[in-house]
Amino acid sequence: MKFSPSLFEVNNLNFERQGNLVLKNSTFKILPGEYCAIIGPNGGGKTTLVRLLLGLEKPTSGEIKLFGTPQKRFRDWNRIGYVPQRSALVDSSFPATVREVVGMGRYARRGIFGLESADDKTAISEAMELMGVSDLSDRLIGNLSGGQRQRVMIARALASNPDVLIVDEPNTGVDVESQHRFYELLRTLNRTKKLSILFVTHDVGVIAEDITHLLFVNQSVLVSQNPAEMLRCDEMSRLYGTSAHLVSHNH
Amino acid sequence: MLEMLNYPFMQRAFVAGLMIAILASLSGSFIVLRRYSLLSETLAHVSLVGVAIGLLFGMSPLWMAVLASLVASWLIEYLRSVHGMYSDSVLAIFLSGSLALAIVIVSLAGSFNASLFSYLFGSILSVSTQDLWVMGIAGSLAMALLIAFFKELYFIAFDEDVARAGGIRVTLLNFMLVSVIAIIIALSIRVVGTLLIGALMVIPPVAAIRFGMGFYPTTLLSMAIALISVVVGLSASYLFSLPSGAAIVLCLLVVFILALVINRR
Repeated sequence: MKFSPSLFEVNNLNFERQGNLVLKNSTFKILPGEYCAIIGPNGGGKTTLVRLLLGLEKPTSGEIKLFGTPQKRFRDWNRIGYVPQRSALVDSSFPATVREVVGMGRYARRGIFGLESADDKTAISEAMELMGVSDLSDRLIGNLSGGQRQRVMIARALASNPDVLIVDEPNTGVDVESQHRFYELLRTLNRTKKLSILFVTHDVGVIAEDITHLLFVNQSVLVSQNPAEMLRCDEMSRLYGTSAHLVSHNH
Repeated sequence: MLEMLNYPFMQRAFVAGLMIAILASLSGSFIVLRRYSLLSETLAHVSLVGVAIGLLFGMSPLWMAVLASLVASWLIEYLRSVHGMYSDSVLAIFLSGSLALAIVIVSLAGSFNASLFSYLFGSILSVSTQDLWVMGIAGSLAMALLIAFFKELYFIAFDEDVARAGGIRVTLLNFMLVSVIAIIIALSIRVVGTLLIGALMVIPPVAAIRFGMGFYPTTLLSMAIALISVVVGLSASYLFSLPSGAAIVLCLLVVFILALVINRR
């Protein structure tokens, strides 16, 4: 039986910003194939946690392992696809076609002077096909709708053929219909492509049926392997420190 | 009109000008897209300090300009990326500070105002064979770096965080980019002048972006605009005895206005 290490293993993680404690003593693991929602109140540290996992912030103390390798020695960053917060909000005059943006997902693999290989071209085409943006290939990214831009950004993340996709509140500036299509797509990617997903969201109700794990982040990280239990309203109210209601969407 | 190409000084001016046009427009695309356009203006002023020191102490003004510009570019990037200072504030400090320093040095020396004038506004007569060699060597190095990391620099300009998360060495490449720009600016001052090089870096990409194309065609168009402007500007400089830098920038402005008119949105 093949040994499969955790995608992310976090031990006693602490992070301070300008003397203020943002995350304290957090320990958790994310395993391959999981669909994990990261929820919590505004300012609770959700995005900071994601940035720490991606190496965009340095922990004050503690350890992060990626695919079993300590983060400082980790080099296979193309195994992690990242769709950041407000990714759909792109400078409208930026000179970039959809094809060019999706192609960025392959840059880290190409090396210095590296031209686009046949593998690169195939991966880019497949990612665009999967996200339904092939027909937008030559359009400027700034001329697309919020939903279309969002799909392009996910195609870019998928072009590197990642093992895990990290999506940080991607629905800013995106209409409701596109949001629903987006949630369906994430479910498909997780179930049929076996892609692990970490999804930072305020709107946990819409993915309540899909997720396998829940990380509640409010200065520290609380892990639940039974999301349904944690999403019960009284539990959510206790965690958020206010009256919370879970709204299940039909999608 | 083609008789001007019989003169060695014009041949040198054209070779230097065309090299600078390619380098300035290529590197300029990245600073324009990162809203960092004032960097070229700032480093041009800093290179003036190098020129003044060179003239004062009898050293090569061009090499001193390269040195001053490089050191300043690293300090600017360090303050911006490590200390998190606002880039426009850092640039404003260096811009006014270096100009003040250059003026003080010039005032102390008092004897080289005429030659300094050619560094301020550019002069086709001032490009020596030695300058061409320096431009050729340093320019080739700058070009090789820009081409080698072209796609990474484009990714960083589009989304710095995602590029970093994807394993691209953003900090190192940012320092490399400002270093390359510092070298290009210092090399350009003979032809375009310190006060006008910023235009050669910024106007071609800004005009090209108006045509609403992808990055690669936009970059090629930007280079074409810079090359045409340098050829027309240098020719006008020869024919009408104008400072070369000013003539080139006026050509760039005409192209920019045309780009605005053609692409009214």
